[in-house]
Amino acid sequence: MAPLGRAIQWTAILVLLHTAYSTYEYLSQLKALDKPQDHIPVDVTIEALVSLVLFIFGTVLAAPALTEITWAKEMEKRTIDEMDSRLGFAGFKHRGAKFYGS
Amino acid sequence: MASSLTVPQAIQELKIAQARGHRDSNEIVRKGLFVLEQKNGLKMLGEDVWDFLEQMAVAALDIGQLELADDCIQRLAEQFPKSPRVEVLQGQRIEAKDLDMAIKYYETLLDADETNVAAWKRLISVLRQQNKMDRCISELTEFLDTFYSDLEGWLELADIYASVNLYTRSLQALSHALLLAPQNPFHTLHFAETAYTANDIPLAIRYFLRTTELCGDDSRGVARRAWFGVRLCTKHLTLHPDSPSESATKPMSTSSLNALGELATERLLAAYSSTSEKAVVPGRKEVLKLLGGSGTSR
Repeated sequence: MAPLGRAIQWTAILVLLHTAYSTYEYLSQLKALDKPQDHIPVDVTIEALVSLVLFIFGTVLAAPALTEITWAKEMEKRTIDEMDSRLGFAGFKHRGAKFYGS
Repeated sequence: MASSLTVPQAIQELKIAQARGHRDSNEIVRKGLFVLEQKNGLKMLGEDVWDFLEQMAVAALDIGQLELADDCIQRLAEQFPKSPRVEVLQGQRIEAKDLDMAIKYYETLLDADETNVAAWKRLISVLRQQNKMDRCISELTEFLDTFYSDLEGWLELADIYASVNLYTRSLQALSHALLLAPQNPFHTLHFAETAYTANDIPLAIRYFLRTTELCGDDSRGVARRAWFGVRLCTKHLTLHPDSPSESATKPMSTSSLNALGELATERLLAAYSSTSEKAVVPGRKEVLKLLGGSGTSR
């Protein structure tokens, strides 16, 4: 899903660049013919809007998976051991050294 | 155990363990040694290498690997001379050998700076390890008077009181902890179970229900334990309705208690059922026996 989204995003960018170039070319043509540079052809405008829609579509597809935000869902992943660990007060005189010590 | 562990994965897991306060020292040392043994392991840590060394030092002390701890502490001392955090680490290293010397060391640190939180906590911890409960409790209450919002401290005080069977004082300490972390179902469960042990059943059932409320639709872990607690309380209250209760909480009506008992039974049965035909949830038989049995308040 994400690669498809990225591909669509890149297509939209290319379409936008094409729109920009078409606008530049049309306006320079008008300038060469000494006509007033007050409008852009309709199809270039439509192409710009199409590139916007494509980009939005691609971004939505390329978005990462949604994560849970409720406190209850976060608490589901925790254990009593980590909630009650009290590391600041943890003492070392226990049998851990017998099992794992050097 | 020796699964295909990659260095970035190990570093990520170590960071999570540090952020959440896991006390999984054996695993931390194993993963930390794995990272250290790789060629560019320390480089991949980048800026976090000092936090990593501190985590490794504490974990190594916890499982008794003193050379590894010495190595980490020495590197930290070279990088950060005169740092209070490193001084506390050195104190922890002394604790591993001689507790009395550790007490003197922490007292000198506290003479130099009275608000050294870490050193004060270590002093309290050493006093508890030496079983000097009077001094430990007075130091801890003084600490909590100064630093009220230290959740760890209130939980430790509750644990100390519970270990000497002063359950009502443990409840008071836990109530402060609940003020500091109101949305945490683990602490409400702790409170409810301490209330039950202190024989304050109406208070216990209130907090068991609060725990299930905080857990939402979850039927694993904490919520399941809370439903067991609700069932225990309803059984106790319906079987001994005339027992004198010194509880400050208003008791519930019999119909509510019966309804809650049925709800708890239904929730537990749901928790121990599975939708597929073949898979049986472990423990289902014992739970059915428990739920079906009547006349016992156990």
